[in-house]
Parts: sequence; C-alpha cells; structure tokens
Amino acid sequence: MKMPLQLRTASLGLVFAALLVFLYIKNPAYDATAYFESIALLRQIKQLDARWELDALKSKIGVNTSYDPLVNPLSELDRLREQVNRLGIQQLQGTAADWNRSFGAYQDITEHKTSLIEGFKTHNAVLRNSLAFLPTAASDVQDAIYHLAHQEQGGKREALEHIAAQVDSVLLSSLVFSQADTEGKVSEIITELDELAAVSGSLPPAIVSGLEIFMAHVRTLIDEKKRVNGLLSGITSVPVAAHIDDLEYLLSQEQQQAAARTLQYRQYLLFLSAILAGLLLYVASRLVRSYAVINRVNQQLQTANDSLEQRVQERTLELQQAQGKLVDSARQAGMAEIATNVLHNVGNVLNSVNISAELTMRQVRTSKVQGLARAMQMLNQHATDLGDFITHDDKGKLLPGYLNQLAEALQTEQQSILDELGQLSRSVDHIKEIVSTQQAYAGAANLVEPLQIGSLIEDALRMNNSALDRHQVTVVKQFSEVPVLLLDKHRLLLILINLISNAKNAMADLAEHARTLTLSVTMVDTDTLQIGVQDDGEGIEPDNLTRIFTHGFSTRKDGHGFGLHSCAVAAMEMGGSLKAHSDGPGKGALFTLALPCQTEESTL
Amino acid sequence: MPMRPLSFSLALLLALPCPLDASPRNEPIKPISLTRTADPARTELGSRLFHDVRLSANNRVACVSCHDLTHGGADSRAHSLGISGKPTAVNTPTVFNAALNFRQFWNGRADSLEAQIDAVIENPDEMGSTWPDVVAKVAQDASYKTGFTEAYPDGVTQANIRNAIATFERTLLTPNSPFDRYLLGDTDAISADEKAGYLKFKQYGCVACHQGVNIGGNMYQKFGVMGDYFKQRGNPTDADLGRFLVTRDEEDRHVFKVPSLRNVALTAPYFHDASAKTLEDAVDVMFRYQLGRAASPEDKGSIIRFLKTLTGVQETSLQ
Ligand code: HEC
Ligand code: HEC
Repeated sequence: MKMPLQLRTASLGLVFAALLVFLYIKNPAYDATAYFESIALLRQIKQLDARWELDALKSKIGVNTSYDPLVNPLSELDRLREQVNRLGIQQLQGTAADWNRSFGAYQDITEHKTSLIEGFKTHNAVLRNSLAFLPTAASDVQDAIYHLAHQEQGGKREALEHIAAQVDSVLLSSLVFSQADTEGKVSEIITELDELAAVSGSLPPAIVSGLEIFMAHVRTLIDEKKRVNGLLSGITSVPVAAHIDDLEYLLSQEQQQAAARTLQYRQYLLFLSAILAGLLLYVASRLVRSYAVINRVNQQLQTANDSLEQRVQERTLELQQAQGKLVDSARQAGMAEIATNVLHNVGNVLNSVNISAELTMRQVRTSKVQGLARAMQMLNQHATDLGDFITHDDKGKLLPGYLNQLAEALQTEQQSILDELGQLSRSVDHIKEIVSTQQAYAGAANLVEPLQIGSLIEDALRMNNSALDRHQVTVVKQFSEVPVLLLDKHRLLLILINLISNAKNAMADLAEHARTLTLSVTMVDTDTLQIGVQDDGEGIEPDNLTRIFTHGFSTRKDGHGFGLHSCAVAAMEMGGSLKAHSDGPGKGALFTLALPCQTEESTL
Repeated sequence: MPMRPLSFSLALLLALPCPLDASPRNEPIKPISLTRTADPARTELGSRLFHDVRLSANNRVACVSCHDLTHGGADSRAHSLGISGKPTAVNTPTVFNAALNFRQFWNGRADSLEAQIDAVIENPDEMGSTWPDVVAKVAQDASYKTGFTEAYPDGVTQANIRNAIATFERTLLTPNSPFDRYLLGDTDAISADEKAGYLKFKQYGCVACHQGVNIGGNMYQKFGVMGDYFKQRGNPTDADLGRFLVTRDEEDRHVFKVPSLRNVALTAPYFHDASAKTLEDAVDVMFRYQLGRAASPEDKGSIIRFLKTLTGVQETSLQ
C-alpha cells in the first residue's frame, strides 16, 4: 500500500516537473527589449526619412548647397532597415509571412523613393543651373543685341529692341514659372520661344549663339522644372510612414499577443508551481513522517538487536549448559559404566560372601557342638556318679573318647569356619577396595596429573576383572616404554573401561574359540600417546564405523549406547581422538585412542 | 558689363543661390574629415590583398596593377589591361576616396565597395577569378591564415577577404588638399587666382554636380545634359549607355555617376571613355555639354587652377 502511493507521488511530481519544463521551453522567449528596440529603430527610420525628404526640399530651394545630405542617410537607412528586419523576423516567427510581406512592401517603396531622390538630385542640379544662369544668359543676349542696335537705325533697330524685350519677357515668365509651380505659363513661354526661334534665323550670328543658349536653358528649365516637380510630389507622396506604421502595428500586435501569451504561461507556471509546492510540502510531511517511522523502526531494531543479543547469550549459555550436561551425562554414563562394573564386581564378591556365609552357616548348623551338648546332658544326668558313669557305664565309658573326637571335630569345624570367615572378611575387603577404587575416579574434574599409563590400564582391567574372568578373556599386553605423562586420569580411565567393556561384549558371543583382548601402548611421537584396544570379536559393519560414536547408538539389545559416544567426547575434551577400525563383521575391531600429552619433566 | 536692371533685381528677388556669403564653412564642397576608425589589422590584410596578384585567375594582375597608388589610384592608360591583356571597357577611376562615392563604378552598378570587389574579381576581363579559388589561395598562405584568424573570428572567408579589402579602401582617402585646408579656415592655403577659380566653378554651376565632400560622387548625371556629347564624339559603345545598362530605363541613357574631382589633376585621361586627354579638354566638354554655356579661356584656366588645388595628401601610413 505504501509503495504505490510513493510511486504515484513521485510520478505525479515528475509529470508536473516535466510540464513545468515544457511550459518553460514553450514559453516564448519573447524579449520585450527586441520589441522596444525595433520600435525605436522604426522611429529613427521615420525621422531619418522625414529629414531626408526635408533635405530634398531644402536642396530644391537652395538651402542645401550639396547633395551629401541626400546621400548620407542611405547607408544609415540601410543599416537600420537591416537591423529592423532581423529583429522583426526574430519576433514574428509565427507570422513570418505577414512580416515579410509588410517589410518587402516597405523596402520596395523605400527603393522607389531612393530612385525618385536620385532623379530629383539629377534634375534639380540641372534645373537650378539653368535657372541661375537664365538671367545671365538673357543679359548676355541683350548685351549683344544692344551692342548691335547701337549701330543700326530705324526699323532694324526697333526689331532688335523688340527681340531684347521678348527675351526679357521670356525671362520674366520663366522666372515666374519657376517660382509659381503653375503649368499655365508654359504654353505662353513656348509660344514666345517659338517666335524668338522664328526670328533668330535673320539675326547676325553674334546674337544667335547667345539666343540659342538662352532658349536652350529656358527649355531645360521648363523640362527640368516639370520633372523636378513631379519627382518631388512623388517623393512626398511615397507612403513610407504608413509602411513603417504597418511594421509597427505588426510588431505591437505580436508584442501584445506575446505579452498575453506570457501572462497565460505565467499563470500556468504559477498554477503548476503552486501544485509542485503543494507536492513538495506533502513529500516533506511524508518525509518527516517516514523519518519518525524510521526512528521507531530503528528503535525497534535496536531493542530487537539487544534482545537478540541477550537471547544469543542465553542460548549460548543454554548451549554451554547443554554441553555441560552432555559432558555430565557422558561422564555419568561413564560413571554408570564404572558403577555397573563396580556393582558387578561387588556382586561377584558378594557371591563369595554369600557362599562363605552359607558355608559358615551350614557348618554352624551342622556343628558338632550339639554332640557336646548331648554329652554334657549325659554328664549332667550323671553328675552324682560321674566317675562311675565314665568308668562304668557303657555309654559313659565311651564318653571320653567321644569328647576327644568331638574336640577334634570342633577344632576342624572352628578351623573351617575361621577359614570361611577369613574368606568372608577378605571378600568384604575386596568390596571395600572396589568401592574405594571407584571413589578414586568418581567426580574427578578435568585435572591432569602425572600418571603411569600401565597402572592405569591395570586399574581399568581390574574394574572389568570379573567379567573378563567370566568370559575367559585372555588379556595380551603390548606395552612399550612410556614415561610418566600428564593426563586427565579420570577421563582416560573412563575411556579405557568403556573400551575394554566394549571389547569384552563384542567377544561375548564367540562360541568356541579363545577370546583375546590385546591392549597396546605406544608413543607415536614425543607428545602423542596412542592406546589400542583390539578384540577378535564380532567386528563392525563398515557403515557403522562412524555411527558407532554417535549418541545413543548401540548394536546391543541391552546397550545404553552411551559408551563409545562418551568415549569420543572425552577424547575430544582431552584434545585427542578416538577412531575405530574393523576389517568387517566377524573380523574383530581395533579402537585407537590418540592423546596429546606432555611428559612430567617437560612441564617442570 | 552692367547687368540689366530687371535681371539683376529679379535675381535678388528670387534669392537665387548666389554665393554671396563666402564663409568657408558653408560651402557646397566639404573637406575630408580627418578622423579614422579603421581596424589596423584588417587594413593591413586588405593592403596586402590589394597588392596580391593571386586574387586574379592567372596570378598576374593585382588591384594595384590598374589602381596604382603611386599614380593617383589609377593608371595612365585610357583603358587598363585585364588578365587576358584585353582593355577594360571604361577608363579606370581612382580608388582614392572611392569610399566617399555613394555608388561604385561609372554607372553606379555596385552599391558598396564590397559589391564592387565581387564584380572586379569575377569579371573575366579584369581578374577573371572565382571566389572559391581566391579563398583557397589566400587560405593556403600561412601568413594570411594567421593574419585572418587574428583579425576575424571565422578566419579566411569570402566575406572577410572582401571586408579586408574594403576596409583598406576606406583608408585610401586624400585629405589635406590645399583647398580642404582653405575650407577648414586656412585662407592662405590657396592663391587669390585659385580662389577666383573656385568662384567661377561655383558661378558657372560646375558645383551643381561636383559638390559635397567628394566634389562629385553623390549623384547621377546625364553626360550631355545640354547637348548630345556622344553624337559629336562618335563611335558609340555599350559602356556609353551608362546607367541604362543597369536600369534599362530610357531616362538613364548616358547617365553616369558624377565623378569626384579630388586629385583630378593626377587622373588623366578623363571621362569614362578616356576621351579627354587633358583637364582643359575635360573642362571644355563640361562647359559645352554639362553647362551648355561658353566661357572665356581665362575663366577656364582659372577653374583648372582651382581644380589643381584638389590634390590631396595620401596618408603616409597607408603606403
Ligand atoms: C584590369 C584592371 C583593374 C583591376 C585589376 C582592378 N580594377 Fe578596379 N576598376 C577598373 C575599372 C576599369 C573600373 C571602372 C569600371 C566601371 O566603372 O565599370 C574600376 C573601378 C573600381 C572601383 C570604383 C571606383 C569608382 O569610383 O567607381 C573601385 C573601388 C575599384 N575598381 C577597386 C578595385 C579593387 C579593390 C581591385 C582589386 C580587387 C580592382 N579594382 C582591380 C579596373 C581595374
Ligand atoms: C550636369 C552635371 C555636371 C556639371 C554641371 C559639370 N559636370 Fe563635370 N562631370 C559630370 C559628369 C556626369 C562627368 C562624367 C562624364 C563621364 O565621364 O561619363 C563629369 C566629369 C568631369 C571631369 C572629368 C573627371 C574624370 O575624372 O574623368 C571633370 C574634370 C569635370 N567634370 C569638371 C567639371 C567642371 C570644371 C565643371 C564646370 C565647368 C563641370 N564638370 C560641370 C557632370 C557635370
């Protein structure tokens, strides 16, 4: 239940975070500065454009004496235009087509305007030259005319003066025309010019050339004036401002949309952030809670750990105790073995005690002492005539002989009773001895003491003595020279008694053949003692070779299974080992006890 | 020769642009500014490229072959010779102060120095090369390569080569001509006769076309405003069509960029067709066909003396 919840929270958080990133990326990186920059640039362009136009007008009326002011804005305008276009494209990515259309239109009209201004410069220069020159040209003609007129008379002179007046009139109309911007004068001037041209043929060459120059400039003036006027009106009517306004409108529209979008995205972002913050809070509270849980669990773990440790200690203790018990029971088993042996031996001795007692009793019961009583009875009957009786009576005469015999018999009787009692008391001594030997081992702790292996084995044999006798076992001793060793006497004895008893039992069922128990003692090396107990009894199944050492294992019906197990345990306790070997059933068995030991000297 | 009263009063009345006030500051001709902002590394590269024959297809012709910087920025031929030895269609104009022209070439077909460079490099009669070739050749030169990587973030490219040359050209200005010094207030920089020549230059109306900082180079004009120059000259060529070649507009037939008159004394022969061998010839033509008026030889001489004050000083650091 817990895991899915956390997963859900985590995935929810992830989804929101992803949304946040998405929104952040989606959120058009709309830079208002680009907008303001573009607007500023457009304003600048507008201003430059207006100044450009103004400079054209100034050039027209001669306030500007050079055309550099009409040229200089070109590169600046190009630069600004390019910049605006870059910014515009950058801003109007969504509606690039609109921008390109509007910007293209704007560029077209600026190109148009530029070419108009080029034309204006060209024609204005010529116009102004002719206009400026016209009065001079007129006066040049008139000078020539007057010069000639002075030499002429009458009609000729009048005609010449008329021409001079006509030139003046043309000059006047031309100058008025140049100022008035009216087309009305043109035909009038042209007529006058035609008249002048008509008469010029009859004029002397000195006048004609000047007149032609004058007329050419008047014509130029008229032509160029028309052109310049047309160009200027063209220039002022080029809707540059309107196109710039278009661009501005596009940009501001985009800006507004972008602002709206930004606002929207900001709202989304705010909303999402709020949700994320909530989630964070939730997660934080979960964290705090899980922290508490972790603490608690930690504590529980700690206590569990503590109790576990305690339990382990308890268990260890129990185990130790169990082991102790096991050892105890093994020891008890060993003791039981010893006790059995003791009882056995005691029982055996008790047999002799019994027999001795029986014999003594029988002897006492059949004692000749009753003959003495009867003799005494006779004597008492004849107390008065005792002498007589002994000497005379038949019976009495026999009495001394009888008493002699009796005395002899009683003597033998006493002797045999004494013998029996002697036997008895020996038996009792024997019992005492058995008991005291047992007591010497019982309860002995794990104590090493210097001991003579040989005598220890003798003790063990003695404790099994009666049984070995009973089973007519021949004991062969193959003892090599062994120094006094420091060993746990009690345990070793226990092992030996058990092994001997075991060997004896193994040979119990052998019907017709001699039973031999071979005991061997050797020092394998300086600190390992090896004792072998070999029988030629029933042997051990290979399968059982190891199992025989397990607790409770026995092949005997009445076996308690303690023996070999406790032997192995005891051997282990002494740091040694007990191994069994058998060539198979009926082939006897060899138990080898190997014990680490130290000679008495070496410990000194 | 007294002016007629009517003409005189009318002239006053109309406030025609008579140069009544000769204050040096408000002249139709402006001096060349002395402030420079060119990047020295790029200028240096441009200068080397300008002198480098590897910009041409056969490694024979450099910019400087036609635009001899020790010879007024042009050569003395009527028509320069390109890679194949074929004469160019028009006379070579000077590169000095070309940066002050509002358009490049006689017919103004290049909007900028950069565009002009494209045209000359790929013109089969001039340098006959291609940009990939030029870029490859320049990139092969280790010293160019390091120079470019130092001067430009993207190293050797077509645009950077172009920019370097143009940057160099923008430094090819000739300020401090005697007349410029006069304009800047040094009244003794030119003689009284030359001042008179300037006055004539203005009075006759040369200044209507040749004005501004470059004394020309800021407008187009028909060659032959007041008469058919080409009919008189004969042998019409395609190049004579001028801007008509660019716009195909009848109005632009025989229309040319008004050339700068700076250093004009050094750049003979004159006109796009190199038809005028001397300044006298050129001024004669101008009077006849551009002004449509006659002038006394004294006035012409005076104007020519004025024109000679327009020879500036090539900035030494650039040679
Ligand atoms: C073969 C001779 C030749 C060479 C080489 C040459 N030019 Fe020119 N240059 C000309 C001619 C001819 C013109 C005039 C062409 C025209 O107007 O159509 C001209 C015009 C120009 C102009 C225009 C000047 C003006 O006032 O309009 C510039 C600038 C210029 N050249 C620079 C260069 C540069 C830079 C190079 C080297 C990359 C170069 N030229 C190489 C012959 C040459
Ligand atoms: C109507 C305009 C106009 C007027 C006025 C005018 N010019 Fe020119 N001028 C031009 C044009 C256009 C050219 C170039 C012609 C061509 O080569 O195609 C030019 C070229 C020149 C050149 C040759 C420059 C060169 O490098 O090739 C000189 C010199 C010159 N003018 C001097 C004068 C003088 C002096 C006056 C006055 C007497 C004058 N101009 C008046 C338009 C004018």
